[in-house]
Amino acid sequence: MTLYTKWLLVLVTLLLTGCVGGAQYVEPQTRLSAVEAVGSNRDAGFARVTEPRPFEFPRDRGPHPEYAIEWWYYTGNLQTDAGRHFGFQLTFFRSGLTPEMPERSSDWATSNIYMAHFALADVADEQFYAFERFSRGAVGLAGAQGEPTFGVWLEDWRVTSENDGLPMRLRASQDGVAIDLVLDTDRPVVLQGDRGYSQKGRERGNASYYYSFTRLETTGTVTVDGQSHAVQGLSWMDHEFGTSALEDGAEGWDWFSIQLDNATDIMYAQVRNPDGSAQYAFGMLVGTDGSYRFLEASDAMLEVVDTWRSSYSGAEYPSGWRLQIPEDNIDLQITPHLRDQELPLAVLYWEGAVRIEGTSNGQSVSGNGYVELTGYGEQQEEGLRIR
Amino acid sequence: MIRSTLFKTTMRHVLRHPWQFGLAILGVALGVAVVVSIDLANDSASRAFAISTETLVGRTTHQIVGGPNGVDEAVYRQLRTELGVRTAAPVVEGYAAAPENPGLSLRILGIDPFAEAPFRPYLLPGELSPDGDVTALMTEPESALMSASTAATHGIVAGDEITMRIGQNTQTARIIGLLEPQDSTSQQAIDGLLIADIATAQEWFGSTGRLDRIDLILPEGEAGNAVAQQLATALPEDVRLVRPETRTETIEQMTAAFELNLTALSLLALIVGMFLIYNTMTFSVVQRRGLIGTLRCIGVTRRQVFTLVLGEALIVGIIGTLAGLVLGVLLGRGLVTLVTQTINDLYFTVSVQSVAISATPLIKGAILGMVATLLASAVPAWEATSTPARTVLRRSSYEDRIRQAVPIAAGIGVGLLAIGLGLLAIPSQSIVLSFTALFAMTIGAAALTPLMTLWLMQLVRPLIGRSFGMLGRMAARDVVAALSRTSVAIAALMIAVSVTIGVGLMVGSFRQTVIDWLGHTLQADIFVTSASLSSGPPTASALPPDVIERFTNTPGVDGIRRYRALTSETPLGMVTLIGTDIAPQRDRASYRFLAGDPTQLWDVFEQGGVLVSEPLAYRHNLAPNDTIMLYTDRGERPFTIAGVYYDYGSQQGAITMNLETYRSYWDDQSVSSLAIYAAPNVNVDDLVTQLRAQVGVNEVVQIRSNLSLRNESLIVFDRTFAITTVLQFLATIVAFVGVLAALMALQLERARELGVLRANGLTPRQLWGVVVSQTGLMGLTAGLLSIPVGIMLATVLVFVINKRSFGWTLFFQMDGGLFLQALLVAIVAALLAGLYPAWRMSRISPALALREE
Repeated sequence: MTLYTKWLLVLVTLLLTGCVGGAQYVEPQTRLSAVEAVGSNRDAGFARVTEPRPFEFPRDRGPHPEYAIEWWYYTGNLQTDAGRHFGFQLTFFRSGLTPEMPERSSDWATSNIYMAHFALADVADEQFYAFERFSRGAVGLAGAQGEPTFGVWLEDWRVTSENDGLPMRLRASQDGVAIDLVLDTDRPVVLQGDRGYSQKGRERGNASYYYSFTRLETTGTVTVDGQSHAVQGLSWMDHEFGTSALEDGAEGWDWFSIQLDNATDIMYAQVRNPDGSAQYAFGMLVGTDGSYRFLEASDAMLEVVDTWRSSYSGAEYPSGWRLQIPEDNIDLQITPHLRDQELPLAVLYWEGAVRIEGTSNGQSVSGNGYVELTGYGEQQEEGLRIR
Repeated sequence: MIRSTLFKTTMRHVLRHPWQFGLAILGVALGVAVVVSIDLANDSASRAFAISTETLVGRTTHQIVGGPNGVDEAVYRQLRTELGVRTAAPVVEGYAAAPENPGLSLRILGIDPFAEAPFRPYLLPGELSPDGDVTALMTEPESALMSASTAATHGIVAGDEITMRIGQNTQTARIIGLLEPQDSTSQQAIDGLLIADIATAQEWFGSTGRLDRIDLILPEGEAGNAVAQQLATALPEDVRLVRPETRTETIEQMTAAFELNLTALSLLALIVGMFLIYNTMTFSVVQRRGLIGTLRCIGVTRRQVFTLVLGEALIVGIIGTLAGLVLGVLLGRGLVTLVTQTINDLYFTVSVQSVAISATPLIKGAILGMVATLLASAVPAWEATSTPARTVLRRSSYEDRIRQAVPIAAGIGVGLLAIGLGLLAIPSQSIVLSFTALFAMTIGAAALTPLMTLWLMQLVRPLIGRSFGMLGRMAARDVVAALSRTSVAIAALMIAVSVTIGVGLMVGSFRQTVIDWLGHTLQADIFVTSASLSSGPPTASALPPDVIERFTNTPGVDGIRRYRALTSETPLGMVTLIGTDIAPQRDRASYRFLAGDPTQLWDVFEQGGVLVSEPLAYRHNLAPNDTIMLYTDRGERPFTIAGVYYDYGSQQGAITMNLETYRSYWDDQSVSSLAIYAAPNVNVDDLVTQLRAQVGVNEVVQIRSNLSLRNESLIVFDRTFAITTVLQFLATIVAFVGVLAALMALQLERARELGVLRANGLTPRQLWGVVVSQTGLMGLTAGLLSIPVGIMLATVLVFVINKRSFGWTLFFQMDGGLFLQALLVAIVAALLAGLYPAWRMSRISPALALREE
């Protein structure tokens, strides 16, 4: 599960304010809360997610414009031979402005807007870099395709594959920070929820279609300050699409992806009430053989053990957890590699690399993962930011 | 004590001669008003242009531009997705007329909102009206944003639809939001601007797949140069990386000559105004020579007298200048429409919503008014104080001195004329130099006026003596006897009328030249264009291809000549590029050559050579067999000049090539216009009707007969010169008022003299005769003198100023009617000036008149 955004008016307005482009100038920011954005007034006409659907690959790796929102989400933890640790995030969002467009002659005409986020956590130097881009999904500037070869891109941030899926190559670069990685796996996709129908609330219809590659072997280079580092590690990919997912009253969500050294992968997510309690929770446990099992709220216990306050936004985020899955005798400590992995972008959220330590069936295990926290703070309404 | 007494004498004089004082002020006011109004109109037009250019350029440092068809949109994708250049914004722009909203001409700016923010800050969302739904800009076809003030002016509200004429098509724009910038510069910047998504703009202009340009922001210095280098090698060869300033400059240069001409004409009006002031001030001093003499005799110093006269001039100057500024602003409001109209016809579409009352023209006008007034009165003030007090008291002494000065003035006049001619002989393209010469010659002619007046009066005296007897001779003698007063008035009237003649002859010659040129250029019977002849640049104006086919197959059509005409950027600046069919027997005759051997140049033309128009050749010193470079879709390519032809269609210059040649260098199969030859014995009007029937409902194609095209061309021509005519008219008004003022004062001053005559038995009727015949003689003198001077001015305007400003060779055309008209204006003004004094003198009893002084 990942970030929901309904940018629409707010977003396009943002675009006009000067969030786009890398020039040095003072840019006004408009407040945009991730959850606030998930209203349903514009959903009319888009297809709804109400029941499982058959997935057909490679076609379903591409875009689904009949749904309002869609994203391709890549996160991963990488190390150099010397053990220098990096976390990366490369995400492409598609947002449909209208479900249908009249026939138009210009190639620029589109109702799909793409947004991409690229972040890199340099643990050794305690540096966190985050960038965003926007573009219309037209004239080849941004887009996605499942066939004949898989690809999703926004300008020169791109994921490409020479065939319909694996291996895939991720490339992104901005202001001296870059990744160039090849991701591959033998494991089949994990269809989240019920055969890919992923419920996000108690009511049916508050759901999305969601599948993942939970363990992608990754090699390549990470560039920081113009210096390239050969790295390898594990990545996680989500592809999710839908129209409206959250229930009324949802404040935000916490999402965890965990890759353990015993070849087990865990996804766990909870939608929070304003008081911080879990409104709805769900997860997936992927075994060493690639088989997977759905986790309900009652299957897991999540406890916050530490918090961190952002000096940029003033928001207070949880910053350390204990996750228990009693049935599988799993007990994990989740600790951020860096405390500050807040993305100070048009949409304010925390998405960061985490370190995992704990036990599974009494065996000591460790690993890495990624955590996404939304709804803890908002981009300042009148704030000015100099990038 | 003395000071206040002196002041009182001045005040008394003013109070006793309110007419004179008022007319002096009017003279200054009119002179200043004409200069200020022209300046304001010019200034408003160029500011509107500068602001809209700055607006559309925004923070852009570089631009990627292409040939006539712009830039392939793939270049933009290449920039963003391959070359990593992210501060890049695609632009599709152009003009549209809004036939249902009179007075509204729209500049359409098609943008990608995602790329726009760093470039054009006036699109900030804070400036959007609350109900503006921005997403609709992208998702809904035909949606657009507009400035709230422009919308308000034309009664447009959000949600309204505007019908637009773009090239041959009618399009609709739906206003989904209004932009309300906070500051007035941004406000002005978006006046008349229609902002649309780039997709919408492409659809309106029918230019899918193409961009007009790509704006870039590259870093300053080394880093930016490196990127520019990289781009220059990576980009396809049909596009170029340029600096936006250079493009703006070329466009601004186009109007520079035009604006200079207007300014010069307004200065001519000021010269007339200066004569007026000089005349009035001289008069008021001359009139008080007795008083000044008396004052000097009782011990008032020269300095005090000088200060007194200048002080009076200062008062006239201040009041007159202030009134002139107010009048100038009012007049400027009217003139700006005319100036804008001319600019739109000749150069580019500029939308001037209001007259920007900027400080510079006002300050300039104020200084001119004050300096002219003080200078003009300094001469008589100096004369009055430098003469011994006793001599001053004798009026005749003054007239004697003046008569002695006549040959000196004439000498100076001849000298000035010689200097003017000498300046013109300098081989240069400088317009400033030409105008300096023109002014020298004008003032020289004015300085010769007293001598000419003397001669003329000697010539005329026996003549009118024979027809009107003693009174007639008296009138002629009076002109000479009061030369100090009459000569300046005659010179002022002469200058004003000669300006009218000069400008009139120039426009007339120009018009006749254009008529002749149209006559041999427009050889075909019917002309087909995609848009109206006068609606802005011909970009994106192409005829539907099947229309050409339909027309070819229409019975009665003997032949069709195709034209592709585009305004295109070249290393020589913006030029009209024309590709056309030239059938040897039929079409070659439509060109008249200035340079190049007509027997050989067509061979060069057939082999890919080009013909350049006279203005272009003149400005860049081009001659046959020279090579010019053009930006083609195959990169920058050389072309040989086959010949230089007369062309009055485009001031920026035109390059004509074979259509084959054009199509081999530019990927453009479009045709802008057609010339259709009717078969023998086919009625052209019937054929026009037949052709019109072939045009579909949605196709806007203009079909005109040869005759109606000529007429329409002349309508555009006349509109272009409307501003000149107005200026000419203004100068005449200034002259008229000036002469009226001068002569009236002159006659009123003669009250006593006329009283003596009446006392000696002159009847009121005879008095009318004396007064009116004297002013009439002065008018006649001025009118007669103005004819040769007018011809001289016209010659300079036609052969020097026009050639240097626009590069056109005009053929001089005399116009007898114009001379007659000028003579009439001069005489009528003079006669009218005599009416009031005559009426007054005839009513006052001689005794009263004698007591007057």
